[in-house]
Amino acid sequence: MTIRIAPLTLAVLAATTLLHAPQLRAEDKKYTIGFSQLAFDDPWRVAFNNQMTRAAAKHPDFKLVIVNAQRDSSKQVADVETLLQQRVDALIISPNEAAPLTSIVKKAFDAGVPVIVLDRAVLGESYTMFIGADNKFIGNKAGAYVAKWCAEKNYNPCNVLEISGLSGSTPAQERASGFREGIKANANVKLATSVTSEWQKAKAVPAAAAAFQGNKNFQVVYAHNDDSTEGGYIAAKNANLDVSKMLFLGIDGLPDKNGAIVSILQGRLGASFVYPNGAAEAIEWADKILKKGEKPPKKVTLGTDEITAVNAKSMCEKYDCEAK
Amino acid sequence: MHPRPDSLRPVTAALPIRLSARGIGKRFPGVVALDKVDLTLRGGEVHALMGENGAGKSTLLKILTGLYACDEGAIELDGARVQPSDPRDAQRLGISIIHQELNQVPELSVYENFFLGRERRSAMGWLDRVAMRIETSRWLAEVGLSLQPNRLLRGLRVAERQLLEIAKAISIDAKVLLMDEPTTALSGDEVKQMFRITRSLRDRGMAIVYISHRMDEVFEIADRITVLRDGRLVDCRPAADYTRDSLITQMVGRPLPEFFPEVKPHLGAELIRVRGLSVVARAGKQRLTDINLHVSAGEVVGLAGLLGAGRTELLEAIFGVAPPSTRAGDISINGKPTRFDSPRDAIAAGLGFVAEDRKGQSLALGRPVSENVTLAGLARFVSNGLINLREEAHGVDAAIRALRIKTPTAATPVGLLSGGNQQKVVFARHWLTQPKVFLLDEPTQGIDVGAKAEIYALVRRLADDGAAVLLASSDMPELLALCDRIVVMCAGTIAGELSRQDASQERILDLATRFGHGAAPDNDSKAKATTA
Amino acid sequence: MSSTLALPRINKLVVLHTAVRFQGFLGLLIVFLLGVAFAPVKDATNLFLDVTNQMNILRYVAETGIIAIGMTLVILVGEIDLSVGAVLAFGATLTAYLLTTAQFGSLGTLVVVLASGAAFGFVNGAVSSAFRIPSFVVTLAMMSFARGLARLVFGGVAIPLLAISQGGSAPEEAFFVNMRLGGVIPVPALLMFAVAIIASLALRYTPYGRHVYAVGGNPVAAHLSGVRVEFTKVMVFALCGVLTALASFVHAIQLNQGAPNDGFAYELNAIAAVVIGGTSLQGGIGTVAGAVAGAWMLGMIDNILNLNNVQADVQLLVKGTLIVVAVALQRLQRRA
Repeated sequence: MTIRIAPLTLAVLAATTLLHAPQLRAEDKKYTIGFSQLAFDDPWRVAFNNQMTRAAAKHPDFKLVIVNAQRDSSKQVADVETLLQQRVDALIISPNEAAPLTSIVKKAFDAGVPVIVLDRAVLGESYTMFIGADNKFIGNKAGAYVAKWCAEKNYNPCNVLEISGLSGSTPAQERASGFREGIKANANVKLATSVTSEWQKAKAVPAAAAAFQGNKNFQVVYAHNDDSTEGGYIAAKNANLDVSKMLFLGIDGLPDKNGAIVSILQGRLGASFVYPNGAAEAIEWADKILKKGEKPPKKVTLGTDEITAVNAKSMCEKYDCEAK
Repeated sequence: MHPRPDSLRPVTAALPIRLSARGIGKRFPGVVALDKVDLTLRGGEVHALMGENGAGKSTLLKILTGLYACDEGAIELDGARVQPSDPRDAQRLGISIIHQELNQVPELSVYENFFLGRERRSAMGWLDRVAMRIETSRWLAEVGLSLQPNRLLRGLRVAERQLLEIAKAISIDAKVLLMDEPTTALSGDEVKQMFRITRSLRDRGMAIVYISHRMDEVFEIADRITVLRDGRLVDCRPAADYTRDSLITQMVGRPLPEFFPEVKPHLGAELIRVRGLSVVARAGKQRLTDINLHVSAGEVVGLAGLLGAGRTELLEAIFGVAPPSTRAGDISINGKPTRFDSPRDAIAAGLGFVAEDRKGQSLALGRPVSENVTLAGLARFVSNGLINLREEAHGVDAAIRALRIKTPTAATPVGLLSGGNQQKVVFARHWLTQPKVFLLDEPTQGIDVGAKAEIYALVRRLADDGAAVLLASSDMPELLALCDRIVVMCAGTIAGELSRQDASQERILDLATRFGHGAAPDNDSKAKATTA
Repeated sequence: MSSTLALPRINKLVVLHTAVRFQGFLGLLIVFLLGVAFAPVKDATNLFLDVTNQMNILRYVAETGIIAIGMTLVILVGEIDLSVGAVLAFGATLTAYLLTTAQFGSLGTLVVVLASGAAFGFVNGAVSSAFRIPSFVVTLAMMSFARGLARLVFGGVAIPLLAISQGGSAPEEAFFVNMRLGGVIPVPALLMFAVAIIASLALRYTPYGRHVYAVGGNPVAAHLSGVRVEFTKVMVFALCGVLTALASFVHAIQLNQGAPNDGFAYELNAIAAVVIGGTSLQGGIGTVAGAVAGAWMLGMIDNILNLNNVQADVQLLVKGTLIVVAVALQRLQRRA
């Protein structure tokens, strides 16, 4: 079998040209917005990207470029470097981890590129603005809800299994600390065990299963994201716990068919707190900064909505959920 | 000189022509592999195909079995023009080949291998295993194999596997049987059995092609010999018309003044003495028992014996290959008792070992000739912890010249060299360390005639230069011609010793079969040297 | 015997041989040219060719490159090391810990981290040798073990690594890793090149280097020629561990943290770089320079795809294809 060099090279060149094709069209957009997303691999992030794309579409002179760091901080640094290399007019970033991304964000900011940090923080103050939900606040609300629920059910002790997100990340730390504050309202609430699912349902199942192996007396399963709560639910059923007596709650409140609203309507999750992503707000602020030269506030905190069986139907209307 | 064919056999001209290949030509880019070669195979005849490596034998075989298509020429099988398109086609036509490396699957059973590719199916389409087993047993009996068809192939000895291949060939009613180096892994008894079967196949009307480097066997079994050289047909005559010398001359194309070099015995001091050496392998099996021997400077001592007699074990034990815990006994070098716990120690003490399997045990095929040559003797080119590449290159050149190694450059990967030259590289490696004692294990195995002569000359030269040589070989003429003394082993111990004058093939065989069964055990005497 | 039969065959083989030997560099050159050809141009600058961009690439591939050099040594003796990602995670976390909590000082930290890498490597090699377990299995186990150890010892959380000037407690000198020679060439890249040069020289000029090739080429032959095969193999793992540790030091400082969860799939990137660079997985054939070229090439491809806004998943496809092509080329050469 002889390999001919010439046809092979031609094939390679052809392939690359095809990949390149979209770029070959004339550039007529005035502003390029670079969005460095830390991952595409969970529903919240997917909704995040969709909302970002929809918001940018409302501005015909915006070209939105989204890059996927695949949860690798090293790669995200390189991603931002490449966006800067492409001379983006504004940088929006949802950083994978705080410390590793701080330098490169500072570098962009110092070079005069407006930087909007979304959802997770970096260290220091070298960015244009931060838009985020207050994870501590949301965690607190979740904790308060648990305290109230345990009191109503008269459980003593009321054991909580916490399934946390990636341990290095700010949201996980804040949702954890906020929660611990919130449950203080009821002294019977005990945070018995904490495991990690690193935000993934697939990891939540074995993690929760391991916890249930050690101790079946749990009344509450609280995960930092709804997906992981669902994982905990599966593990609880597998371990033959009486799920009808338990409370499963999480954070995200997504409207898609695998999300919390549908889950609450179907009776698995008991409660969820919407975690807003700030995509639409970021695009609006980018517009104001770039076209009107406005100086934005340093920090914008987004609110949250509590979703329970009581208001699930109206929340479904509000967020246009995929029920049925 | 060589056994006469059965005097009751018909005259050649009366034998039917089964395969006639005329004017076969095959060209590869830049190379003419075959040039107008004729080959006539008659039923009832064992036809040997002789030639050096590169003469075109394997190309011709590949054309006959459908692996290659010839560029010129025609093949007729039983009068009909044929052109095998692939090996399966060739087999279907009736041309069967027994390769040197048997194409069998060790994990499958005997009958599954027997029917590989042509399984019998029942009416429903499932495999009809019962029918296959019965049929296999029948054919096994034909070749004298008494085996359960259910047995896994992996437990079989090489001889048995080859007989299985032969049984396969007969069962598909092969018209032509091609045998490529069939006796490489067989013991004396097994060779005899192989020849018996071959003769009976011949007498049944099959045309048999026999390829082997072992001249003795060729003269024993062949009725006719065709010689190829450089892709051309040199001669085709009845085997009786050849002598060993005349055959070699035809193959090589020039008269070899001495195939074996002159032996001028000139003994010096005793260089190595082995006393009471015993080796016990794992599971308590006694491999060597109470070995005593000695070799002097300038002496070539042969180590004879059947497969499994323990020759390789002995050489390896002397060289320190086996773990020291399994060894008992003393070895003295130059009068001083020494202990080798590893080949490293042995080399340091002045020994050199050329192993049996040069590709598997001696050469790093992907590495250059130079690196292979200096591997054991690197220290002499090292100063301040670094290799002096220039001095190394000089050393390598000197070795290449001294041993007449044919290689395009010193940087050529050694895997590209011919077998004979590869073996010379291994020799060169130890020659470089100037050892006092050379241990050689089947040094001319699988090497063609021309290169063999050069190795013989080399061995004698090493001895003449003052080294002691211990040479294990299963090639009797080689031992008889090269050695000053022959030590014969049997079943792990020394059966006897013969001086040069007293030695003969019969005497050697007699001693080699002295104790118990001389038959080869399973595959273990080919045990590779273990990495420590 | 006529020589005309032999020579033409060998000529073609020599050509194919050279092509494979330099396949790493050929590939690098081809990718570079493709990058220049397809790069977007903005403000009259070819974004790919731009010096800043090229330096970014070098900085990004440096860690993989350093690990790949160590991996080359291991693969050259016919073994493999799957634990490098986990060892990197441990090393990075250890670096952060020593520089901040333990206040060890830059040099002290570097020495201890390198020693930890050597220790992991040594265990890999020794266990594999002593119990005759294939290195694939041993290093797979170490992959788990080192990561578990990293999480256990340091608490499972990332340790922030900030200089005093940034509000942390680590000494400033440690951050030399973030500097650039002449303001242009990033230190990690310099480290990669320096290590590559030293390793290449050692492989070529030291007896140990020669032994590495011999053991990879044919361990039995090496043993029978007096080479200490076990020692050679154990050392090679230890060296790979040291280089991985060096990469981990660089990693921690660049990312301002030591995270026990980092380094996932780093072993695959390193092995890909080594294979693409022309080193055979059977052992005995290959160069350190090839591995560096391989790592560089992979980085360039990532960069080209990023500059052209091609999805991250496509990069995975490309990487996979390249590995197969590289190995196929080697197979072709061997069959010829």
